[in-house]
Amino acid sequence: MKISEIKSYLSKRSLIILLVLIVATPLFAYAAEIVGYSEPLENLAEEFGAEENPLYHGLFPDYTIPGVDPYIGTIISAVVGTLVTIILIVLILKAMLRGKTNGPNT
Amino acid sequence: MHIPDGYLDLHIAITFIALSIAILWYVLTRTKIEIDGRKIPLIGIVAGGIFVAQMLNWPIPGGTSAHLVGGAIAAILLGPYMGCIAMASVLIVQCLLFGDGGITALGANIWNMAIVNVFVAYFVYKFIRQKLNGGINISSFAAGWAGITLAAIFAGVEIGISSAFKYSIYVTVPVMGIWHGLLGIIEGIITAGVVFYVYKNRPDLLYLR
Repeated sequence: MKISEIKSYLSKRSLIILLVLIVATPLFAYAAEIVGYSEPLENLAEEFGAEENPLYHGLFPDYTIPGVDPYIGTIISAVVGTLVTIILIVLILKAMLRGKTNGPNT
Repeated sequence: MHIPDGYLDLHIAITFIALSIAILWYVLTRTKIEIDGRKIPLIGIVAGGIFVAQMLNWPIPGGTSAHLVGGAIAAILLGPYMGCIAMASVLIVQCLLFGDGGITALGANIWNMAIVNVFVAYFVYKFIRQKLNGGINISSFAAGWAGITLAAIFAGVEIGISSAFKYSIYVTVPVMGIWHGLLGIIEGIITAGVVFYVYKNRPDLLYLR
């Protein structure tokens, strides 16, 4: 795989858009807090008295970092989550690609 | 729409874990056939973009809000198989790193948002675009709307057949379907906007033009 081939599918613009979205996360978190963000599923659960019973909270519970300012925690979560998502899918797809080139059908 | 731990009965959670593993297994075998190594970075960026876009909660005053799910964007840009893998990756990271969506409900969440949302969106887009000769905007809007509405109806079924919601499927399905049908208009508009932008600038990146 040549670098130029990768570049043809990956523009600088797409990376800038990704960065803008990451920077916007604390603003949206702030706005959601002001209006009292609540999804239909949460409203239904309240109506039926269904309670969450978390078995696992994750490393960054609810996109925050314990002991760190929530908005800074949000933006760090956005950066970490985006990078980990990209790394995870690239690893999965690279494994698939190896399967393709070395598989019995090729 | 991420279902947390505690909302689903254990047998429902296990059923959807099994269903999702079976479909993901099939999707991975198809991915192995379709994968184009040059597109891997693009798929990574789309998945990363969907992860961060899901963090942007729409501040709708009045008590009911939502965020983009992005299954239709993944389906139209990457195709159903790569789109499904991208959405599943996002959901796995959200669950394991951020505790968003319960670990026992991961199967149901993948079923709703990575499988139903992506495949419904893809087939709606394909049908309107190819069979009805629909425009790119209307096709992707309908895909965005239908994908999220169907995903929400499935979530309504899953919680509605669980004891935490008193087996009130006749309430949970219409509430989830109608609310996400309304919020889905925003999902449809954003989907159409993103797809149109890519279509105008880099039409070669669309899986199905």
